[in-house]
Amino acid sequence: MVAAEEIERVSKLMRIDVDDHREYVDKVQSMIEFFDVLDSAGVESEEISMQEIPISNLRNDEHVPFDGKLIEKLNHYKGTYVRAPKMSS
Amino acid sequence: MNLKISALEYVQEVQSGNISVEDYVSKTIERISKVDEKIHAFLSVSENVLDQARMIDKKVRSGEKVGACYGMPISIKDNICIKDGKTTCASKMLENFVAPYDATVIQKLKQQDAVFVGKANLDEFAMGLTTEFSAYGASGNPWNTDYVPGGSSGGSAASVSAFECVASLGSDTGGSVRNPASFCSVVGYKPTYGLISRFGLISYANSIEQIGPLTRTVKDSAFMLNIISGLDTNDNTTIDGNEQDFLSGIEYGIEGKKIGIIKEMVGEGTAPEVLAATNDAVSKLEGLGATCEEVSLDMVKYSVAAYYTITATEAGSNLARYDNLRYGYEFPVEGYEFNSYIAKARRRFGPEVTRRMIIGGFVPSAGQAGKYFLKALKVKSKLTREVGEVFERFDLLVAPTVPVLPFKKGEKIDDPIALFQVDLNTVTANLTGRPAVSVPFAISNGLPIGMQLIADSNHDKMLLQAAYALEQTVNLPEVPI
Repeated sequence: MVAAEEIERVSKLMRIDVDDHREYVDKVQSMIEFFDVLDSAGVESEEISMQEIPISNLRNDEHVPFDGKLIEKLNHYKGTYVRAPKMSS
Repeated sequence: MNLKISALEYVQEVQSGNISVEDYVSKTIERISKVDEKIHAFLSVSENVLDQARMIDKKVRSGEKVGACYGMPISIKDNICIKDGKTTCASKMLENFVAPYDATVIQKLKQQDAVFVGKANLDEFAMGLTTEFSAYGASGNPWNTDYVPGGSSGGSAASVSAFECVASLGSDTGGSVRNPASFCSVVGYKPTYGLISRFGLISYANSIEQIGPLTRTVKDSAFMLNIISGLDTNDNTTIDGNEQDFLSGIEYGIEGKKIGIIKEMVGEGTAPEVLAATNDAVSKLEGLGATCEEVSLDMVKYSVAAYYTITATEAGSNLARYDNLRYGYEFPVEGYEFNSYIAKARRRFGPEVTRRMIIGGFVPSAGQAGKYFLKALKVKSKLTREVGEVFERFDLLVAPTVPVLPFKKGEKIDDPIALFQVDLNTVTANLTGRPAVSVPFAISNGLPIGMQLIADSNHDKMLLQAAYALEQTVNLPEVPI
């Protein structure tokens, strides 16, 4: 059983603010408990295979013009700067 | 005006001058006005579709070259970007997000004169399998509106099933095209990973998700695949499909094919009606000249846990971009410290997205990764190997798309584990990158059952041939709505 405090700690790290912690903790606990079935899969010695993408698949590193100013779509764009919350001291 | 025609029939009717695009699209909009109050397949309906329809009619009349879609009204899952249109992902977080560009699939459909009739409902950020997690309300199943239409592309499937459009595009991360296709009795196709560009699909779990068509017939899915598949420099995971014509030779048949019945997908959790339909499907496949034999994929029983571990991890990373500064809603920054602002802004995420983000932070974290995330990746690797070995002996695999019949709204929403189990038969194709299709196969007590066929990677053409052959063996009643 994953401790409720651990789930609350992760929520904070993920920058998630919820009203009813109990509601989330119970369901998240049951979901994580379900994942415990992975312990019996017997895959300890298995190599993790990853999909390899050849470098030739990457698009060319060239400027692609965009017809518009994306920055103007930001809610907090103030004409010459973007307003953001203050950083922690 | 008969709206109950396939995409290919629609094209033929417009080409031959029997119907005009404007008339058909206009009737489609009327149909949406009439039935969507009950179904809620759409989050938004396009305003300028009749102008588009008239333009295509003009091209037809003047003998100008017209794209393959001939103004076909198509719905698009609302996690696929259409330039200058809202793309909400059924989330309050993106309530006012207007996409600045077209997804590659949208560009391709526009080039072929498709008409986008509206954006279809989904579970928020495609996380769910009933559409009940949409922030704008659940969709209803056209076969019985008290029941869920499946998900997460539930709006897409319901809109095709209820004749509110001719075809739709959805996205399939763990069955999100095939599951609602099965529940709504339409065809749902998940291609080989990389066959269709994901550029412009709002990411949930990039390593396994794919865009796929939902259509009334298998031939229509092949038609759509011809248009939307292909290499894309904006998505480096796309593969070269050699510009295959998926429609040509679709009537080839399956004589001599070896088909494996996946033992773990017809086990004790399978509803009796679904089991009976599966046995019937096997008999029909054998009747078509295929040889069917039971096959075991040991890792399937761990696949759902691996799937949710991997997808939550990728979702945790993908959704980190929603800080309400780059995307988001009106929420003043004044008076907030950076982290607390983001945390407060994220209250707009619905409960399922919030849960998966928490899990996505937990399972790959220091001290937990070995037990969860890395083990899930190992299960994925072993499952991929097992499936590869099976395809050395078999041409195709068969299993019911969903082990249970469509269920009532609210029945499973508070039980995440019960919902997990519904995914059992679909996640394998995603985790292993294989193509899979759900074919409408039976109606039991007024509720649809779909049959799933899976092929080896890059054998999409053969898979469509088999799906077409199976489709021809059934004659299903019309949707009652």
